[in-house]
Amino acid sequence: MMRALRFTIATAFLIAVPWIVAATVPGQQRYVLHVLIFTALYGALALSYDLVVGHVGSLSLAHPAFFGIGAYTAALLATEARWPFAAALPAGIAMAGLVALAVGVPMFRLTEHSFAMGTLGFALVAQIVATNWVDFTRGPLCVTGIPKPQLGSLRIATLPGFYWTGLAAVGLVGLLYHGLTTFRLGRAFHAVRDNETLASAASIDPLKYRMLAFVIGGAVAGGVGTLYVSYVGVLCPGELAVSLSVNLLVMLFLGGVGSLRGVLVGSVAFTALPEILRMAPTWRMVIYGLLLLIIVIRAPDGLEGVIRRRSRA
Amino acid sequence: MVVTRRSTIGIAVVLALALGGERPGVEAQSASPIKVGFASAMTGPSAITGEGVKWAAQMLADEYNAKGGIMGRKIEISFGDNAGTPGEAVSAVRKLADVDRVDVIIGQTHSGACLGALPVVKELQVPMVIEACSNPKIRELIGKPVNEWAFRVNPDDVMLANQFAKHMSQSTKSVSIFAQNDDFGRGAAAAYDVAFKKYGIRLVSTEFFDRGQPDYRPVLTRVKRANPEAVLLVMLASEGSVFMRQFREIGLTQKLFARGSMATVEFLHQVRDNPSIADGLVEATYWTPALDPAWEKQWLDRWKVPVRVHGSLAAIAWRYAVAPAIEQAIKKTGRADRKSIRDALEELDVANTPVGRIRFDDTHQAFINMLLVEIRGGQLKILEKIAIQP
Amino acid sequence: MSDLLEQLLHGLTLGSLYAMVATGLALMFGVVRLINFAHGEFYMLGGYAFWYAYAELGLPYPVAGLAAAAAMGVFGLAYERGVIRTILARTWHVQLIATLATSITLTNLAILVFGTQPKEVPTTLSSTIVDLGGVRMAWQRPLVLVAAVIIFAGLEWFVTRAKLGKAMRAMSQNREACAVVGVDVQRVALATFGLSAALAGGAAALVSPLFNIFPDVGALLTLKAFAAVIVGGFGYVKGAIAAAFLIGLAESLAAGYVSYAYKDAIAFVFMVAVLLVRPQGLFGRRIGI
Repeated sequence: MMRALRFTIATAFLIAVPWIVAATVPGQQRYVLHVLIFTALYGALALSYDLVVGHVGSLSLAHPAFFGIGAYTAALLATEARWPFAAALPAGIAMAGLVALAVGVPMFRLTEHSFAMGTLGFALVAQIVATNWVDFTRGPLCVTGIPKPQLGSLRIATLPGFYWTGLAAVGLVGLLYHGLTTFRLGRAFHAVRDNETLASAASIDPLKYRMLAFVIGGAVAGGVGTLYVSYVGVLCPGELAVSLSVNLLVMLFLGGVGSLRGVLVGSVAFTALPEILRMAPTWRMVIYGLLLLIIVIRAPDGLEGVIRRRSRA
Repeated sequence: MVVTRRSTIGIAVVLALALGGERPGVEAQSASPIKVGFASAMTGPSAITGEGVKWAAQMLADEYNAKGGIMGRKIEISFGDNAGTPGEAVSAVRKLADVDRVDVIIGQTHSGACLGALPVVKELQVPMVIEACSNPKIRELIGKPVNEWAFRVNPDDVMLANQFAKHMSQSTKSVSIFAQNDDFGRGAAAAYDVAFKKYGIRLVSTEFFDRGQPDYRPVLTRVKRANPEAVLLVMLASEGSVFMRQFREIGLTQKLFARGSMATVEFLHQVRDNPSIADGLVEATYWTPALDPAWEKQWLDRWKVPVRVHGSLAAIAWRYAVAPAIEQAIKKTGRADRKSIRDALEELDVANTPVGRIRFDDTHQAFINMLLVEIRGGQLKILEKIAIQP
Repeated sequence: MSDLLEQLLHGLTLGSLYAMVATGLALMFGVVRLINFAHGEFYMLGGYAFWYAYAELGLPYPVAGLAAAAAMGVFGLAYERGVIRTILARTWHVQLIATLATSITLTNLAILVFGTQPKEVPTTLSSTIVDLGGVRMAWQRPLVLVAAVIIFAGLEWFVTRAKLGKAMRAMSQNREACAVVGVDVQRVALATFGLSAALAGGAAALVSPLFNIFPDVGALLTLKAFAAVIVGGFGYVKGAIAAAFLIGLAESLAAGYVSYAYKDAIAFVFMVAVLLVRPQGLFGRRIGI
């Protein structure tokens, strides 16, 4: 009862953010909303990544490719074929999911380091293709004029509109994440992650569950890519850079890999914190590197682990 | 998600911190500083361009403030990092506009970032003067009536290609293009493909290379086989110096043409162990230090390295477009706010700048001179100054 | 025909570079079963060390080169002691992320310290051209190849004759047995890192005169070296060397005859193909380095 109440208040609060921001920081509200939109999109992306890394334990480095595939699918369909957003979004999700399926089958035959390297190789090739297949993707000249989402008579073109879209996205992804990682399915995922041999012995097919997480994670990444390009309006191949994997890993490990709250906290910390601290960007990367190093060695459960230990003590 | 009271307070604290130092209320206009934002790639693979822009901005602010600012008002600079991507450009513009409260933005150096920034400057109604973005699409996206808040000082290759191809056609009949694999290189290659046809030059081959991949020999061998009379290099000095060494290593002797930053002091500095390595190279550009030797010296004194091209381009935008516009705005309206600067830019007509006449047409594009600069005996020489036609 | 010869010679230079970097990677994996994602940064830092020694201090080329290798050797020791030792017993996830984090930190520190402008370090040999059978090249290129061969021969001698080297080989074959017979496992691990880093530093001193040095130069190199290690069979040094040359040649030929823009894709597709078809590597699963 208390929990439901707290949840409702929190949701109401989050929905009311555009008004709260307008009231508290009128001069900077647009900037704050923009940062929150990026935070929400990153949060959804990080959650989709955590399904693969945190819950089935596969250190995939292919996520930027799925993000990019969703983005390019939607961008090209919207600009070349004039598909409305309501069609482009599912297309982006489906395309990314399909590619994840195609790539996952061979990749999951590999173990450990080879899997990481294989997925990395795939991500690199995806970026090279996006950059060089200029006739199709426009390459470095970028896809421009990506229209804002139009759903019937509803046009999402304002910052609050995108904020609510982002909030809905991260909310939905969060619900999906929660559903997939609790109950029996979640236990199956964790069995595969923690002790693959034992899992197979208990007739939990590791490949099936890994593929499930990988494809869903990839499909969601594609969906986030679609939302992202609808917001920014321009898509360049640089957005598929492998460094996105690095950023996602920082988010996951900083916040707490394998935990919903942890990953969301990590996303907020990664996206919003630098805006608050106004660090010189290169120094910021040095600090992230050091933080990631220290956290993964000393506190691999991230901030979430720290919080849990505190509340238990 | 379990949101405790603690985390709700936490979010509130975070929001509050985000605005640390927010001063409500209207600031007095008369003696307050003029805020200028410079946006470029401060991080990411193209961070070298952002560094040039940053250094230039710092020098310009000091130079103008030493003279008392513009019409007695000091210049205050802020930086935005677009990392060369459109998404980050959106963040950079919003930060400059809403947090740093700049009155005008100079940027974004890279076309992807420019394209991402354009709708935002329109929404936020902040004037932006583009100093180096070369994607030809930008011309369709700025000016009346599409986007009255964006202006561009630099020409793109569609504007330069005809004149340059005409020049090339006087001494060569076949060309191979080597271009960097980004918006600049791709845009240039497409423009010269068209222009060469007009002037009867055969395009033998076009090769693209990623920046930071300094092994050009395989493709140089290919070009050796194709044997064009000349090569057109679309690259910056940092790649160009490695390229030229391998060019000479393989023994190629084609006539050299360039777009980018080859005929620059940066390049000559990189090849100072062999200064005549690119003798005879003719580059089509719109800036060379000979146009403002004091700037070059100032840079060298302060930063101890040869002047950087992207810094100089930002300086052009400031010196010959933005600063005069600010002055004009203050003279006319007493204010240097966003709208009056925008209006002043539209009306701007500065006739005798070193780069040519600065006047924005209806598409908010300026038509500065094209220069043909030659490297000869390890020195730079202006061959020709050509007015670019609208 | 001399065209093909020329492409093959480029491929050998490239292959030598990849091989020297891959050897270090293969050694580390072989001896301590650790994938070092920051290995490319050893090359990058070695390049800057070489630049400093040669261009700034004005040391003669061989001295500068050895100084760079030695400096990186010391760095490798410090790296093992500081970072690696704490993650040796952890899962490979932790190891991968920790070394990746190190890579990010080192790359960005290099930007802060050295700036973004690439450094060029031409040497006498890289500026003097020789004509070998119609193919013109700087003397530095044959030097790279010859030096690589000497280094590999030296390495082979080291792991078969020298006590420390033999301990390394033994450890790569059966670590527990080594501990049991009294091999100082920690010392061998330390030495492996020093050696791997020194190899990368030496490679930088040999190859940078032909190209240039910038903070991000290690990124692509790490990946190519990984490709070589994987194709050659994890932990099998000779396999990594052979695979590295194969990749260098394939890349050169692809760049020369197929498409320069897609040449990197070719290396990675090759790697993924081998991973899928023959995951134990081209030369089969070998025990030990």
